[in-house]
Amino acid sequence: MMELAWLIPSLPAIAFAFMVTLGKRLPNWSAIAATGSIAVSFALFFFVFADWLGAKSFPHPENYTFVYSIDWLRAGDAILTWGMWIDPISLTMLGLVTAAALGIQVYSWSYMAHEPRFTWFFAVHSLFAASMLALVMADNLLLLYIAWELVGICSYLLIGFFYDRRSAAEAAKKAFITTRVGDVGLLIGILLLFVETGTFELSTIFAALAAGDLSEGIVTGAAVLMLLGAIGKSAQFPFHVWLPDAMEGPTPVSALVHSATMVVAGVYLVARIFPFFEASDTASLVLLSLGAVTAMGAAAMALVMTDIKRVLAYSTLTDLAFMMLALGAGSVTAGMFHLLLHGFAKATLFLGAGSVSHGSDKTDIRDMGGLRRVMPWTALAFGIGALSLGGLPPFGGFFSKDEVTLAVFLIEEPYRWIFLTVALTVGFMKALYMGRLFFSVFLGRLKPENEHAHEAGPAMLAPMLVFTTLGAVGGLLAFNWTDGYQGFGYFVFAGDHQEAFHPNWWIAAASAALAVAGFGITWLAYVTGSLRTDSIIAKVRPVHTLVANKFYVDEVYQWGIDQVMLRAGNAVAWVDRAFVNDIGVNGPGIVTEKSGTKLRLLQSGKIYNYALGMVLGFLAVAVAWWWAL
Amino acid sequence: MTPDVRFELLWPEFLVAGLAFLVFTLDFFVRPARKEVLAWVSAAGLAVIIAFTVPFLLNEHDSLFDGLYRVDSYALFFKVLSMGIGIAVILGSLHFVDRRLTHPGEYYAIIIVSVLAMMMMAASGELLTAYLSLELLSFCLYILSGFALQDRRSNEASVKYVLLGAFSSGLLLYGIVLLYGALGTTHFAGMAAALEGTGGVDGRLLVGLALVVAGLGFKLAAVPFHMWAPDVYQGAPMPITAYIAVGSKAAAFALALRLFYEALAPAYDEWQLLIAGMAALTMIFGNVVAIVQTNVKRMLAYSSVGQVGFLLMGIAALSPLASNALMVHLVGYSVTNFAVFFAITAFYNATGKDDIPDFAGLAGRAPFLAAAITVGLFSLAGLPFLAGFVTKFYLFSAAAAEGLLWLAGVAMVASLISLYYYLQLIRQMYIERAPEDEGGSVTVATPGVLAAVIGAMALGTVLLGVYPEPVLATIREATAALLDTGSAWPTLGSAGQ
Repeated sequence: MMELAWLIPSLPAIAFAFMVTLGKRLPNWSAIAATGSIAVSFALFFFVFADWLGAKSFPHPENYTFVYSIDWLRAGDAILTWGMWIDPISLTMLGLVTAAALGIQVYSWSYMAHEPRFTWFFAVHSLFAASMLALVMADNLLLLYIAWELVGICSYLLIGFFYDRRSAAEAAKKAFITTRVGDVGLLIGILLLFVETGTFELSTIFAALAAGDLSEGIVTGAAVLMLLGAIGKSAQFPFHVWLPDAMEGPTPVSALVHSATMVVAGVYLVARIFPFFEASDTASLVLLSLGAVTAMGAAAMALVMTDIKRVLAYSTLTDLAFMMLALGAGSVTAGMFHLLLHGFAKATLFLGAGSVSHGSDKTDIRDMGGLRRVMPWTALAFGIGALSLGGLPPFGGFFSKDEVTLAVFLIEEPYRWIFLTVALTVGFMKALYMGRLFFSVFLGRLKPENEHAHEAGPAMLAPMLVFTTLGAVGGLLAFNWTDGYQGFGYFVFAGDHQEAFHPNWWIAAASAALAVAGFGITWLAYVTGSLRTDSIIAKVRPVHTLVANKFYVDEVYQWGIDQVMLRAGNAVAWVDRAFVNDIGVNGPGIVTEKSGTKLRLLQSGKIYNYALGMVLGFLAVAVAWWWAL
Repeated sequence: MTPDVRFELLWPEFLVAGLAFLVFTLDFFVRPARKEVLAWVSAAGLAVIIAFTVPFLLNEHDSLFDGLYRVDSYALFFKVLSMGIGIAVILGSLHFVDRRLTHPGEYYAIIIVSVLAMMMMAASGELLTAYLSLELLSFCLYILSGFALQDRRSNEASVKYVLLGAFSSGLLLYGIVLLYGALGTTHFAGMAAALEGTGGVDGRLLVGLALVVAGLGFKLAAVPFHMWAPDVYQGAPMPITAYIAVGSKAAAFALALRLFYEALAPAYDEWQLLIAGMAALTMIFGNVVAIVQTNVKRMLAYSSVGQVGFLLMGIAALSPLASNALMVHLVGYSVTNFAVFFAITAFYNATGKDDIPDFAGLAGRAPFLAAAITVGLFSLAGLPFLAGFVTKFYLFSAAAAEGLLWLAGVAMVASLISLYYYLQLIRQMYIERAPEDEGGSVTVATPGVLAAVIGAMALGTVLLGVYPEPVLATIREATAALLDTGSAWPTLGSAGQ
C-alpha cells in the first residue's frame, strides 16, 4: 500500500479539478466529491500506516524511512525526481491533515450551507488539503517548494473568500505577501543546497550533510534561509502579523489553517530538515530565540485581545512558537507531539468558536458570558479544548507542553535557564488566556440579548466532539505502553530508546502547578469576580496599551511600506516608464511590427516569385558556404 | 544483396498498405450516407497496427537490402508517431469531411498511404529510397490539399504546392546526383565514410549539399524555402493544413535527422553554422511576419515556419542531447498543434469563419474550444507546465551545450515575439466581446468525436509538460539507435544522455 500513498494527495486534487470544471453544472456533487475524496484519503492513510508498521524494522532507526520516486525530468546530468517520503513524521502529518480536513469539511456542510459560492469553498478547501498532503510527503525540496506555494495560494483564496469585504481582501493580501517574503529565503536556501549538492532530493542532501561534504557556513546559511520560509508560514516573529488578520476567512478555514495546514507547514519543514539544525548550533540558537520572542509576545497579546477568534489566533502563535522552541532545543519528538495535540485542540476550539458566532452572531467576548446554558455541547467541547491547550492535566495539551518544557530543560548551558524560564512563563500565560477565554464566554451570567442563541446542529457538533475526544485523550500517546510502543518519541525515531518515555517529575509538577494557578486566577477574575482585572490593568496602563496595540509592529511595517517601499517603488517606476518601457520595450516592439509589415510584402502570391525565392535561397546557401570555406 | 532479407520485418508497412487498399475497396460498397464507417475502419486499423508493431519491432535492429532500409528503434519511434498522427487527423477530419468534402473514401485512404510514406522516410538508409518516400508523401499531400474541389483557394493551394514541389524535387534530385558523383554512393553510411576520406569539400560536393539543403528546406518550410507554406496552409482543407503542419514536418525531420546525423556528420564543421543561420533566420522571419496576419490559418502557418526554426536547432547542435530534444519537441509540437488546429476546425465547421476577429468572445460561446486553443498557444509559446516549455527547454539547452549560445538567445527572442501574436488571439477569445449581429452570440457546438480528439491533444500537451519522462525514455532509445548506425562521429558527449 505504501507505494500507493501518492493517491492520498491526488484524490483531493482530482476533486478540486472536478469541482472547478464541472462544479457549476453539478452543484450538488461538489461537497460530496470534496468530502468523499478526503474520506478515502483518510482511509488510505490507515492502510499506508499499517503497511509501514509491517514493513519497517524496529528497532533499527536507519530503516524506517521509505522513499518511492520516479524520474520526472532528465536534462543532461540533472535528474529531477518526483516522489514520496514516508517516515513517522510524514505519517503523523498525513493522519492529522486528512483527519482535520475531513472533520472540518463535514462541519462546513452546514456552516457554509447558505453561501452562494459553496462549490468554490469546497474546491479550494480540497486543493488546500491536497497541497498540504503533497508537502508533507515530498521527497525532494523542489516538490516541497511547489506544494508550499500552492498552500500559500489556497490560503490566500480562502482568507479572501469574502472578497467583496475590504478587510478580507486586505487580510488575504497581507497573508500572501508576508509569507512570500519568507518564501524567498526558502527558495534561496533550496537553490543554495542544489548548487552545493546538485540535487533536490532530501536523501542525497542528508547523505552529503552526514558525510561532511557541506561546509559549516553552508549548513548554517541553508538552515537559516529555509527557516525564513518556515517562520513566514508559521507566522513567527517578525512575520507574525498576518495570522491574526487571517480571521477574516470563514471560520472552518481558520480551523484548518490553524490546526493542520498552512501554519504547521513551517514547523513541519523545520522537523523535516532537522539534521541541518542538529549540525548547526547557530541555526538552533536562532530558532530558539525566535521561538522565545514570539511565544512571549504572542501570549501577552492573547491576554488582552477581546475578539474570540483573535485570542485563538494569538494562542496559535504561542503554540507554534512552543513547537519551534522544542525543535530549537533539539527535540523533534516534542515538536511533533505538540503539533499533533495542538492540532486536535485548536480544531476543537475554532469549530467551537464558529459554533458560538453561528449561534449568537457575536464575536467579542465582552458581549458573551454564560453561553453554556444555551449551547451546552459547544461549551463542553470548547472547555476541554481550552483546558487542554491551557496545559491542565490530564488533558492532552498538558503532556505535549510538558515534553516541550522538558526538551527546553535539557538544553545545554548557558542558555538553559533563560529558555526554561520562558517556557514556564509562557505555560502559565497559556493557562491565563485560555481560562479567560473559556470562563468569560461560557460561564458566568447569560446576557439577555444572548438568550436567543442556539446550539449548533449535529453535523457541526459531531466533528467538534471527535476532535475534543482526540485532544483530550491524545496525551496517552506519550506513555510507555508496551515494548513495541514506548512513547511518541520511540515512534518518531522508530524504536530509538533514547527518545522513549522519560518524564521529569519536577518539571511536570511545576508546569501543572502553574497551569492550575493560571486557571485559578482567571476563575477568580471572570467567574466569581473577586479579583478585579480593571485595577490590575490600571497599574500597568502603558504596558497594556503597548500590548493591546500589538506592540505597534503593524504600524512600523505600514510606515516602512508607505515611506520607504512606496517611495522607492515610485522612483523605480519612473525609470521604468521613461527608459525601460518607452525606449527599451516599445522601441523593439515597433521595430518588430514594422518589419513584419514590410516582410509580408515578400509574399506576393505568385508562383514564379516563390520559385525565384527558392533559387535565390539556394544561391545564398551555396555562396555563404563557399565564402565560409 | 544478402540472400536472407528478413522480409517479415516489413509487416507493419505491408499492413498499412493493405489497410489503404481495404479502405479504397470498401469505399465501393459503403452507401454514401454511411461513409463515416470508413473513417472508423481507417483509425481502428491504424490503432491495431500500432498495437501490433510496438511489441513486434521492439528490440529489432536490422538493416534490409544492404542498408537501404533500416529497422531500428529510431524508425520504430517515428512509425508509431506517424500512425498516431494519422489516427488523429482521420478522427479530427470526421465532421469536416462530412460537411465540406466529397469522396471521403479516397480522402481517408490517401491519408493512410501518406502515413506509409512517412514511416518509410524515417526508415530510409539511403538517399534515393528517402527521395522516393518523400515523393510518395508529397503526392498524397498535393491531392489532399486540393481536396475541397469547389473551393477555389483549395485548388490554388494544390496547384502552387504541386508546381513548387516539383521544382524543389528537381533541386533535391539534382543535389543527390551531384553528391553521388562526388562521393560515389548514396548510402548514408557510405557517404559518411567517403566524406571522411575526401578531407575537404570541393565545388561539386558543395553545390550538391546546397541543393539537398534547398530541397529538404522546401519540405520543412524553412526560410527562404518557405514561401509556399502560407498559401497552401490557408487554402488547404483545415484538417489537411494540420496534417501538413505536423505530419509532413515530422517525417521530413525524421529524414533530415538521419541524413545529417549519419551521412553528413563528418562534415559537421562545414554545415553547422549554415544550418544554425537558417534556423535563426527561419524563427525570426516566421514569428515576425506572423504578427501582422489577420487570418488564423495564415498566422499559424507563419508560426509553424517559426517552429521549424526551433527544430532546426536540434540539427545544428548535433549531439545526443540535441537529437533527444528535437524528437521530444516534435512530439510536443504534434499534440499541441493538433489541439489548436482541431479546435479551430471545430469553430470553422460551425461558423465557416477563420479570421482572427471572428474569434471574439469565443470563451463565452465555446469555453472548451477557447481553453483548448489557449492551452495549445501557450504551449507553442513555451510557457511552463505545458509541452512547449519542456521541449523548448531541452532544445535551447542542447544548443547552448554545443556552443550555440547565440542561437539559443535568438530562439528566446523569437519565442517572446510569438507570445505576442498568440496573445492577440487569446485576447480576442477572452477579453473582446462577441459581435452582436450575425449570430455572434450563438454557442458553438463541438461534435463528440472532435471534442474527444481536441481534449486528448490538450491533455497530452499538459501531460508532456508535467511528466515528460516516459516519452523521453523512449526517445533516448531512438537516439541510441540513430547514433549506433552513425559510423563517423566528431567527438561528442557520451551517447544516450
